[in-house]
Amino acid sequence: MAATVTRRRRLRPAELLTEVVKYTVLIAVALLCVIPFIWVWSSALKSPTEIVNTPLALPAHPTLDNVVKAWVQGRLGKYFFNSVIVAVPIVFLTVALSSLASYAFARHSFPGRQVIFYLFLIGLVLPFQSIMIPLYYTLRDVGLLGTYWAMIIPSTALGLPFGIFIMRAFFQGLPFELSDAARVDGCDEFGVFWRVILPLAKPGMVTLGIFSFLGAWNSFLLPLIFMQREELRPLVVGLMFFQSRYTSDYGLTMAGATIVSLPVIIVYILFQRQFIQGLTAGALKG
Amino acid sequence: MATSNVTMPAQAGSTPRPRRTPRQWLRRYLPSYLFILPALVLYVVFVLYPFVSTIYYSLTDWDGAQPVKRFIGLENYQHLAQDRLMWLSLTHNLIWIAVGTVTPVVIALVLATLVWSGVRGRIVFRTLYFMPVVLSTVVVGMIWAWIYHPMFGPINLMLRAVGLESVARGWLGDLTWALYALLLAGLWAYFGFCFVILLAALQNVDIELHDAAKIDGANAWQRFINVTVPQLGPVLTMLLAYTLIGGFNVFDIVYIMTKGGPANATEVLATYTYTMAFKQNQVGYGAALTMIITVLSIVASFLFITLRERNEPGIQ
Repeated sequence: MAATVTRRRRLRPAELLTEVVKYTVLIAVALLCVIPFIWVWSSALKSPTEIVNTPLALPAHPTLDNVVKAWVQGRLGKYFFNSVIVAVPIVFLTVALSSLASYAFARHSFPGRQVIFYLFLIGLVLPFQSIMIPLYYTLRDVGLLGTYWAMIIPSTALGLPFGIFIMRAFFQGLPFELSDAARVDGCDEFGVFWRVILPLAKPGMVTLGIFSFLGAWNSFLLPLIFMQREELRPLVVGLMFFQSRYTSDYGLTMAGATIVSLPVIIVYILFQRQFIQGLTAGALKG
Repeated sequence: MATSNVTMPAQAGSTPRPRRTPRQWLRRYLPSYLFILPALVLYVVFVLYPFVSTIYYSLTDWDGAQPVKRFIGLENYQHLAQDRLMWLSLTHNLIWIAVGTVTPVVIALVLATLVWSGVRGRIVFRTLYFMPVVLSTVVVGMIWAWIYHPMFGPINLMLRAVGLESVARGWLGDLTWALYALLLAGLWAYFGFCFVILLAALQNVDIELHDAAKIDGANAWQRFINVTVPQLGPVLTMLLAYTLIGGFNVFDIVYIMTKGGPANATEVLATYTYTMAFKQNQVGYGAALTMIITVLSIVASFLFITLRERNEPGIQ
């Protein structure tokens, strides 16, 4: 981790100039990333008159009126609940099924192992568009359309290739002596998985769980097609309709944007380390 | 990669094994299959089967309601070849790819190199740059709709402030500029992803090689191009390929910000498909359109990766 090139000595003028330019660029980009967030969150706390008079200033008289109105009248509270109700099973199922499958892929040998693994890898390059149309009619025919399952099941299935890819790499990194020892002690295969390997794989599961959560929370096209009933809308889709209805009321729409963005930013900040690790592990090993 | 001395599981067929009775076979392998079964069933039913169905749908003129799907062979594809809107959308996808693939990766590479060369607050920069990536596209769209606002958007306010009144416009409603306005918003929301991956990849760059090049008199730019970039090769390939695929199936930001308008100026294959399949119920035709997206993205990424590998022997 500490491979960063750092040198501590007095700088010559040319070097000093380089340093100044470097920090200016980096900080300017950082501001471009952050200012929109500050604008969204502070607009949410402003009264309509304040929005008009001082659009760019921080709120002088913060009020939660917009947030309450968006939550109750705009039904974002209901949509928030919908998002949680689909995200929790998606995260749970994706982590559980990916862990089970990648355990066998990583630590067993059996006929067809490579073929089945490659079959899952196809899913990594398959765009959602290539399955969405028949999937819509399949879900309709089996009666899942118009229920939360219409989002839970396809999202889980679509998350499996990435999940298996990540968890397999994780399981391969665990020492094989451990499972051999457990087998000698009389553990059956599921016992080895459940009692020995899985507890060690917690960091990998946390990483995958965060990915699944953010994916489910921000997923747009899938619920746009499969969750067309108003009372099933997840927060993101709900926000889009909410925003187009109250376009001119900046305070209100930004309150909606705050309700959508704050949870993901909190999750991201809290689990940043695992998240970045998972991202880079997947990318660098692949 | 360093040689690892981790015991690998016995590869199937690596050693001649005595023949097994079916029962022994089952006892030996059944647990493995049971571990995989739940994931495999879900994946086959809800990903692979729909994928194969898409191919079939694209050969019918189904409207989503008729009880039977009438097989019409390649007719949809013949129509597509003459569909002006399809070609326009494809052009927009290609522009999206041409501009949107290289730009975020290059910007991220420059920023990552700056941070890697030694700055205080590395983690702070990483945290801030990545924040837009985790943001829902709907919120990204709202932010940029404001930035581009004809009257109070900061861009137009600044242009007017410096006397460029004639340049100021409603960027998202402009036939020429709307697509690039979307690209810029997409870039804002995406470059942090490339940044994080490249920064991590830079941690593995051989510093001794860098110092050797410095002693040999290579300046910072030469070291960057000749030492750093080649070592990042595989990661850059992966990133570019990933971004490229994204360029063929881009949907969210376009649909949210312009719905393909004004006058199809930002129509892309995915928004056109959505309209056809789910708004106009031309399901068969929509399926043919999705096949174009699918084939293009898969072929492009394969081509890209094989080309890169041929040019970089020795690097896995």
